[in-house]
Amino acid sequence: MTLAFVGGTHRTVPLALRERLAFSAEQAAEALGRFRERFPGREGVLLSTCNRVEFYAAGGRADVPPPPPEQLVSFLAECRGIDADLLTPVLAGDRGEGVARHLFSVAAGLDSMVLGEPQIVAQVKQAWSLAQESRTSGPLTGEMFQAALRTAKRVATETAIGRERLSIPSVAVADFASGVFERFDDKRVLLIGAGKMAAETLRYLRVAGARDVVIVNRTAGRADELATRLGARAGRFEDLSAELAAADLVVSTTGATEPVVSPELFGRAESRRGGRPLVVLDLAVPRDFDPRIGTRPGVWLYSVDDLAAACDANRKSRQREMPAAVMIIDEETQRFMGDLHHRSTAPVIERLRAGWSETGEMELDRLFRRLPTLDDAARAEIRQAFDRYAAKLLHPPLASLRSESRAGPPHGLLDALQRLFDLKD
Amino acid sequence: MIEFVSRISVVCFAASYAVALVCEGSRLLFRSGVRGAAMVGFAGAGLVAHTLFLVWRAANEPAVPLSSAFDWYLLASWVLAGGYLWLTIANPRTPVGLFLLPVVLGLIGAAEVSSRSPFPQSPATQIWGAIHGSFNLAASVAVAIGALAGVLWLIQAARLGRKQPPLRSFRLPSLERLAHTTERTLAIAAWTAAAGFLSGMVLNAVNRQRGLLETVPWNDPVVLRMAGLVAWLVTAAVVVRVMGRRADGPRIAAWLSLVSFGVLTASILWGLFGTTRHGVPPVRDMSETSEAALPRAWPTPAAAARPASAAAPEATP
Repeated sequence: MTLAFVGGTHRTVPLALRERLAFSAEQAAEALGRFRERFPGREGVLLSTCNRVEFYAAGGRADVPPPPPEQLVSFLAECRGIDADLLTPVLAGDRGEGVARHLFSVAAGLDSMVLGEPQIVAQVKQAWSLAQESRTSGPLTGEMFQAALRTAKRVATETAIGRERLSIPSVAVADFASGVFERFDDKRVLLIGAGKMAAETLRYLRVAGARDVVIVNRTAGRADELATRLGARAGRFEDLSAELAAADLVVSTTGATEPVVSPELFGRAESRRGGRPLVVLDLAVPRDFDPRIGTRPGVWLYSVDDLAAACDANRKSRQREMPAAVMIIDEETQRFMGDLHHRSTAPVIERLRAGWSETGEMELDRLFRRLPTLDDAARAEIRQAFDRYAAKLLHPPLASLRSESRAGPPHGLLDALQRLFDLKD
Repeated sequence: MIEFVSRISVVCFAASYAVALVCEGSRLLFRSGVRGAAMVGFAGAGLVAHTLFLVWRAANEPAVPLSSAFDWYLLASWVLAGGYLWLTIANPRTPVGLFLLPVVLGLIGAAEVSSRSPFPQSPATQIWGAIHGSFNLAASVAVAIGALAGVLWLIQAARLGRKQPPLRSFRLPSLERLAHTTERTLAIAAWTAAAGFLSGMVLNAVNRQRGLLETVPWNDPVVLRMAGLVAWLVTAAVVVRVMGRRADGPRIAAWLSLVSFGVLTASILWGLFGTTRHGVPPVRDMSETSEAALPRAWPTPAAAARPASAAAPEATP
């Protein structure tokens, strides 16, 4: 087997151990340098994200296999100064085809905490780049990572696994607020409360173009602080009615135990709104907006439960795409392994060609000596005929080798060819 | 090439649009990676055939494309088909064809049951006729696009009201954009329909003066339905304008645009199956009329082959 891997994810490694095992970019570069010294002639790529640490290794030539998973566990433990016995039970390992299949699944986001999340593709690319810079990447890992990126692209374009949004802020902005408003750069966004969810939602709104943002909070200092941090304007909580009248989109995340905006308060603001639509993302629990406000014309009120239900529907939608994604992973794995097995036949093919070429040259020399009157054009014609004849004779065995490679390493066929044509190393 | 173009029939492009409509409908049933290309391909092929058909008629029949009811309907459907293709390419996930292509096919159907004979014209009335036909065409297209925006607004609002995430292959434009389109198109429809009606009055006066066509009386069904349509569109545009500052203004505008489309459809059907003196040559003994005094009328072979009841040019809406 020319491929090996060992690794652990959020599913298998407890957070405390994952934190100790995680590599920063510098630590990863150092570990790869150490790998190069420890395992010369082998290839290695280290993928370390907040949810996974994985090491992919490949052998060099046929007689230089990759380090087995057990050695890779010890190597990772040594790099991070962790007892290997702690890692062995929580890290998984594999060899051969399973390595490629796993990497392709990882790159396509099928193994991620959030199914189909796209950030992992960039992380896989970074890991491969780091290995190239550290000179531990080679032809085998290069091909495997290229195939992984190609697979990720296919899964992203041919299935809808990564299309539906799953986080409450992203769903709130992309699926609901964007359904009401065409653009956000001319809209007033009002944040009520200074919760973490408000800041996260504002991040998506900023990407969508929102510029005019006002933050009101019972504690004015907290609103000032958040406004400075987010590049917004702080308003007074006492002016909430006026701010509601001016706002187009409200994100509310206070920790109040009673609704902050009652129908009466909203009624006062509504009369000054001039009929403009209002989107309210009430992300607070308990709710900040009285639900009766949502029945007013032109008001689109969404609570956390509404948005969570939408997220859940999107999650199920992603799950439905899994079979199609797995099919692509299978196809790409078979394709990659077929190419890999075919590569292993290269030395035999080379020797076969060299042997035939040598015999042909000898025969041509003998022929040309016996026919000294031949001119250069005639000699070139005869030489071409010999080459075509050899190529045609070689085609069936080479085609058989390629065909056999799709199912696995064609050891039997290679052995037969070596014995039939007396091919020596 | 000329032989190929001459063989293009209404069925050719109607069938292409129908296949594009079936593809649009399949969005609701299953996902497909090639559907978008198929829709654009069929609609594009239909539009090319449609264009060639109109060009062929313009080259071989005098005074088209607005000089007969048949050509008027085909031109209206051509504009809407072009609009559909543009909207589909610009917004591939928005199913505009589900609503626009039936209108395109309906107009083609209306063309099929209309007369192909051009209205009798002189150089003077040709200009007023073209203005009259163009304004009516613009009004009809605006009403159709307004109705499309209105129905999409209602669907989008229902989805947002039910707090459901959007369907993957059924993305709709924002309420803001749809409301803006509805309001705009209603205003355009009102202005152009009014201009079409006024230009029709001028045309009628010129005809009366020159004796080209029979004078259309004020109580003619075409005049009445056009007056009704104009009155409705102007009222709807004013209501939408006034209601624009109310929170439920966009919803009212959406409904009014749908009703406007209903009124337009009823008007077209009335024009197709009703009796009118609109566009009819003066009743006179043709043998007594000198060649020079005759209005220019160019009945096509198809129109000539029709039964007498269908040969009379129908009114454009």
